[in-house]
Amino acid sequence: MVRRAHMACDCALKSAIEPMRKGKRLMHLLPQKSFALPLAALVLALSVGARGGDVPDRWWAPGEGRVLPAVLDYDNANGTLRMLAVGGPLKTAGHPFFEPLGKDGRACVTCHQPSDAMSLSVDSVRRQWDRTNGKDPLFAAYDGSNCPTLPQDKRESHSLLLDRGLIRIERPWPAKSFNGNPVKPDFTIEVVRDPNGCNSGPTYGPEAGKISVYRRPRPVANMKYLLAVGFPFDPKQGYALPLDPEDGKPQSGNLMADNRAGSLRIQMEDAATTHLQMLKALSPAERKQLQDFELRVYTAMQVSKTGGAVDSGGAVAGPARLRDSEPGALGSIGEPVWSEFKGWEKIPADEAAKLTPEQLAMRQSIARGARVFREKMFLITDSAGINSRVGFGNPVRNSCVFCHNMSQMGNDVAPGQVDLGTTTLPFADPWDDLPLFRVTCTGRPHPHYGKVIYTYDPGFALTSGKCADVGKITLQSLRGLSARAPYFSNGLAKDLRGVVDYYERRYSIGYTEQEKQDLINLMGVL
Amino acid sequence: MKRLALLVALCTATTAQAAQDTAGLVRYVACPVYRDTDAGRKSGCWLADDRETGKRWDVTESPYKPDWNFAVLVEGRPSANTAQPCGAPALDPVRTSRLDIPCTRHMIPAEGFPGRRYTLPRRNIAPLSVARPVPPGPYAERVFPVYFEFDKDFLVYQYDDWLIDNAVTWIRAAKPKKLVVTGFAATVPEKVSGLELAERPEAAQERAETIAETMRRLVPGLKIETKWEVAAKPTDEPDADGLPWQSQRRAEMRAVF
Ligand code: HEC
Ligand code: HEC
Repeated sequence: MVRRAHMACDCALKSAIEPMRKGKRLMHLLPQKSFALPLAALVLALSVGARGGDVPDRWWAPGEGRVLPAVLDYDNANGTLRMLAVGGPLKTAGHPFFEPLGKDGRACVTCHQPSDAMSLSVDSVRRQWDRTNGKDPLFAAYDGSNCPTLPQDKRESHSLLLDRGLIRIERPWPAKSFNGNPVKPDFTIEVVRDPNGCNSGPTYGPEAGKISVYRRPRPVANMKYLLAVGFPFDPKQGYALPLDPEDGKPQSGNLMADNRAGSLRIQMEDAATTHLQMLKALSPAERKQLQDFELRVYTAMQVSKTGGAVDSGGAVAGPARLRDSEPGALGSIGEPVWSEFKGWEKIPADEAAKLTPEQLAMRQSIARGARVFREKMFLITDSAGINSRVGFGNPVRNSCVFCHNMSQMGNDVAPGQVDLGTTTLPFADPWDDLPLFRVTCTGRPHPHYGKVIYTYDPGFALTSGKCADVGKITLQSLRGLSARAPYFSNGLAKDLRGVVDYYERRYSIGYTEQEKQDLINLMGVL
Repeated sequence: MKRLALLVALCTATTAQAAQDTAGLVRYVACPVYRDTDAGRKSGCWLADDRETGKRWDVTESPYKPDWNFAVLVEGRPSANTAQPCGAPALDPVRTSRLDIPCTRHMIPAEGFPGRRYTLPRRNIAPLSVARPVPPGPYAERVFPVYFEFDKDFLVYQYDDWLIDNAVTWIRAAKPKKLVVTGFAATVPEKVSGLELAERPEAAQERAETIAETMRRLVPGLKIETKWEVAAKPTDEPDADGLPWQSQRRAEMRAVF
């Protein structure tokens, strides 16, 4: 068992397995070369890797049968991401997260890659396109292309995935029920522009009973935090939290951009019939294995390339602490968000003397970034979920941590449906390759946009059926960001600077260049 | 401090007559002004001018705060505290209901005023991880009110959630046979700042159903009946803070044995 984990490990394994491994760091030499290989040779190379004779690729292909080690490290531009699998190495052969279950040859792991913090970076997407000449099951017509009606062998038919890492999400229209209660939408939706063909014609679009939006895969890791329930109410919706139909417990409301799934079970059933194109339902045994796996995976940056290990020199970040902590705490009444880096605020002289100047500067910058995140105040305006209907007022003075308030994770303790403007005009960036919808409120107008709203993705409103929810997107966690660019549900920000620039544009914050860089450095090591 | 406590005590004593007594209270409609003070998070000031009296009031302490794009219905009592951190005398208790009347957005600078450093409101609930003390019996029929913004059925954060949390703790211990939820709406028109204001009759039913749904989620299996009444009369329940109009806009949960 241990030996197999060792052999199959494709990573610069540390801690748990390090003592057993005499070899050198392996993973980072990965197949730059194989880009040029034809597909047949590539498949061969992969299967060799899977048998353990060679170093497996960064990319986890479905059905390879590798063993997922207990500790798995992957490098990225900002340092090293570490994934921990609680309970030790896991045989992926026969495991529903890793086996191709549907007709397209995809598995869950196709879009939730260990090297990408269990999401999918656009770098990995492009690399996979190049390595396989676009034949990887990731590019399946159903949702790995801009629309199944397009010629699938053309790169431009997959441009949203290749350029922004976006997967097509098809939602039924009109929404019929939410949390088990019937819904009659209080808005109509028309298509202003359909550059990809998936929102018009006889089979697609609102007239045909469906809406296509395009979204980033969300990380399937650190799940206990996303499922944690801090308080019994959803202050943004003005109700007690909905109950899980299965176990009768309150749901956190923090899954999926549009919160269409309140539990992992509902989510996996949605994923199986859509992304995997499974014809039969997941079996109870498969569901159990999936859920069990999802709850075991923790991932976060372990090493800052310039600053060193994030759990050294007084800092206490990294995935192990994430694994070992109680989830769901509100930063404002418990452990302040990103105070893991407090120890790097004032590094004692003797400690500083052991660091290179670059290391020292990076640690100090990260620690300042954590403070900027919590303490630099600005006016949050016209953001439904915050400025309405909860009574905070419009505007309200606060910082990043107002919305990103869960200790150690930076998602929202309360259900995190907030309209930051990333998908909705005038706050979204002008993009001609996304569909544009015109939403008309038939009841009360939207509290900030009025009666008519133009949006690329109505977000939560596609689930709740409420015009007041147009543009709301569930906050993600902020872990493993370095491994999974681009950011925001529609990939609006291509890198971390893009994130800060968006907030600066959106709220006229007035960050200094130093503050921006500090925030970027902080986000780079979460 | 002692003086403050005494004043609070006095206020509580007078709420008994609040239902009839509107002397000293103010009620008007205005476009809000945001004063951009900075004493940390949530420290901005809300001001609103009463056109009839020409007075500017600090209305920041409302549990539901204004939106600078819409008019507010201000209801409050001049505060006993004479400090003016926002540059105007304060109403406290105070309510600011957002009306569907558009306003020109207006923000003014701090002009040297400090604003108020945020403190957690008295009515805030503990996380679920904190056990609630079991309220002592004997248990008998009891009514729990919750209050709303003008014409809305939205559960007010750090107000209604606290009222409901307390009710739920009691109900879980007392195990009543059923809960009768009655929604009320203040549908009789009243003239305020030259406007005829009345709540929609539907607001009464919406309030009953919103609270019933929340209670079904919090106490699964509890039998719940809903009713609604228009032309609501004020009550003198203390959690309406002595504001008769607030007390009209309510839902009542009656635990029946
Ligand atoms: C084709 C790519 C793809 C495949 C394959 C896929 N997913 Fe996803 N996954 C996504 C996208 C995109 C989202 C975000 C959807 C949204 O927000 O609407 C997502 C979201 C999730 C989430 C929610 C995470 C969060 O924080 O909200 C979970 C859990 C998840 N997927 C699990 C799975 C499982 C289990 C499978 C296999 C049964 C699977 N996924 C297969 C693309 C994929
Ligand atoms: C008003 C609430 C709010 C505030 C304030 C806020 N955020 Fe966000 N944040 C969100 C929402 C909502 C999303 C999800 C939006 C989307 O995906 O389109 C988000 C997403 C993000 C993401 C992307 C995560 C991912 O997985 O793609 C990052 C990074 C981020 N925020 C950083 C920050 C920083 C830095 C600040 C302070 C400058 C900040 N946020 C302030 C609400 C907020």
